Amino acid sequence: MSLVTIAKPTFKEKLKRFFMFDLLKGLGLTFKYNIGAITDKDSVAGRGIYTEQYPKVRPEVAPRFHGAPRLNMDPETYETLCIACNLCALACPEDCIDVIAMDIEITVAGKARKKKVLDEFIFDTSRCMFCALCQEACPTSCLELTQDFELATYSRAGFVWNREMLEQGRETVKYES
Amino acid sequence: MTKMLALLAPNFIDSLLLKWFSQETINYVIWPFIQIGAVVTGVAIWALYATYAERKISAFMQARLGPMRVGPWGLLQPIADAIKLLTKEDVLPDKADNYIFKFAPYISVVAAFVVFAVIPFAPSWGVITDINIGLLFVLSVSSVGVLALILAGWSSNSKYSLMGGLRSSAQMVSYEVAMGLSLIGALMFARTLSLSGIVNAQALDGPLTYIFYQPLGFITFLISGIAENNRAPFDLPEAESELVAGFHTEYSGMRWSLFFMAEYAAMVVVSAIATAVYLGGWYLPGVYRFTEAYHQAAILNGNPDGSQLYHGLYVIIGVLVFMLKMAVLLYVYFWLRWTFPRYRYDQLMDLGWKWLIPASLTNIVWTALAIFTVQALNGWRGMKTIESISQGLNLTPSGKAIMVGFGVVGLLVTAGVLSTINWRSRDFNLKGQRRDIRVIKNVPQGKPAVAPPASATPAGQET
Repeated sequence: MSLVTIAKPTFKEKLKRFFMFDLLKGLGLTFKYNIGAITDKDSVAGRGIYTEQYPKVRPEVAPRFHGAPRLNMDPETYETLCIACNLCALACPEDCIDVIAMDIEITVAGKARKKKVLDEFIFDTSRCMFCALCQEACPTSCLELTQDFELATYSRAGFVWNREMLEQGRETVKYES
Repeated sequence: MTKMLALLAPNFIDSLLLKWFSQETINYVIWPFIQIGAVVTGVAIWALYATYAERKISAFMQARLGPMRVGPWGLLQPIADAIKLLTKEDVLPDKADNYIFKFAPYISVVAAFVVFAVIPFAPSWGVITDINIGLLFVLSVSSVGVLALILAGWSSNSKYSLMGGLRSSAQMVSYEVAMGLSLIGALMFARTLSLSGIVNAQALDGPLTYIFYQPLGFITFLISGIAENNRAPFDLPEAESELVAGFHTEYSGMRWSLFFMAEYAAMVVVSAIATAVYLGGWYLPGVYRFTEAYHQAAILNGNPDGSQLYHGLYVIIGVLVFMLKMAVLLYVYFWLRWTFPRYRYDQLMDLGWKWLIPASLTNIVWTALAIFTVQALNGWRGMKTIESISQGLNLTPSGKAIMVGFGVVGLLVTAGVLSTINWRSRDFNLKGQRRDIRVIKNVPQGKPAVAPPASATPAGQET
């Protein structure tokens, strides 16, 4: 009783081995890849070559990708859209958002009133898990997780973004392609 | 363009040098030095860019890009590597044999480079020296390289180096036999050991080069040449997963790069010999008729000066053709490396001793038989197979057809006979071993020594 039954090679298999068919097939495969790489028209990340020249050629992230946070501003007046409602901070499961509001005096129809406006916005990206629940909660489409993925910094403190960073975005080195 | 070619023509340089030196000094001192400088520089650059080509080709075969950052398409990468290696610290292992450790790389690189003295890159001034024992010189000098590997492995005072040195010496010694024997078949056609003579014989013989007459010899030579250079799939001496880097594990910086250069130069040597002996060297059909023929006609007319340009063009095209054929063989080197996995050590020895050496011996006998047959048929019933035997064996078309037929049949018959002999070979054929061990009839099915306890039965069945 055999533990493993190994079939005896048929005549066709013997012939294949004699003419080194499998070795030649392997050579053909590597040659095909080589030709494909050379004749690839879009030589970067095309059909033949899958290497991505990263800093020069930036990858296309998925449409639902969530990356660096941003506080949007009114495109005409450049005033922040944030109304300091604190809904994002309440929605955040990681508790990484701090909305600091302040009261200002304004005059509405001749009467002095107080208004709550945004003073400072703290977003700790090191604790953020990019679930975008804050983006969902925002009533004015102010807070948004963008597609920017380069979030590395030189210190842990650098992960904590303040209002200025959230509004302006971080500076990253752009390489020419 | 014509002016540039005239500059390359040796007469111009000759007339320049005659102002300071005598004709003898120019012929026997100055010209050899110019040629040596050109060849050493050329080969060093060739070896340097062989690393680049290897990295690129391996990358393409794996759908990668390879070096891209240093220069356009990474073309300056080998130069950056060379500068890095030159400026690196030279580490000497503790308790290593100081002098031998430092001397071994030079033996290796000299043994690899001296061989280029007799390689015929082109006719006329395209070869440094044409000695009548050229091929013997190549084989003997290149085998000195083994000495460097043994010395390097021994003097490093490291187990990996020693193992690598032992392995590579065993491998090179066993494949050297097949390598030397496989060349003899081609020598029977050329009737000379001079490499220029071999190329000339092929050029005179017509469009077919010796690869068509000697397919078995060519394949045997190529495989044993790859094994001789310790290249994959025969790279056991440097098997990364087992021996770190083999004999040069302890080397760093400049000395390591010398070993590296010697390895690539040895590759170039083997491809150059294969090109000269089997692929016809600088010979390309039709080149002679459009270049050198005018020069020869002018010499016959007694006015050779005006046609020097044609002569220079002939030599330069010869160099380019030689380089092209060599590049094809180097591509085969890379191609094999990035396709096949490494041999096991016993498989390596089996391939050398059980396949290649018998095959090369068979090739000698078979070639002798073929040449005997062709000579016997010459003149039989008005058949003409041989044109002349003054410079190598010159065959008529019918003789060529017979010889090619002999070559193909010899290849198939030898492979068939050897595979019949080696099919049941226990060491080589692991599949056969496994089948014998596994298929055991009538294994006794005894009762268990201890009866299973009653409580072992499932609890649900009792109630």
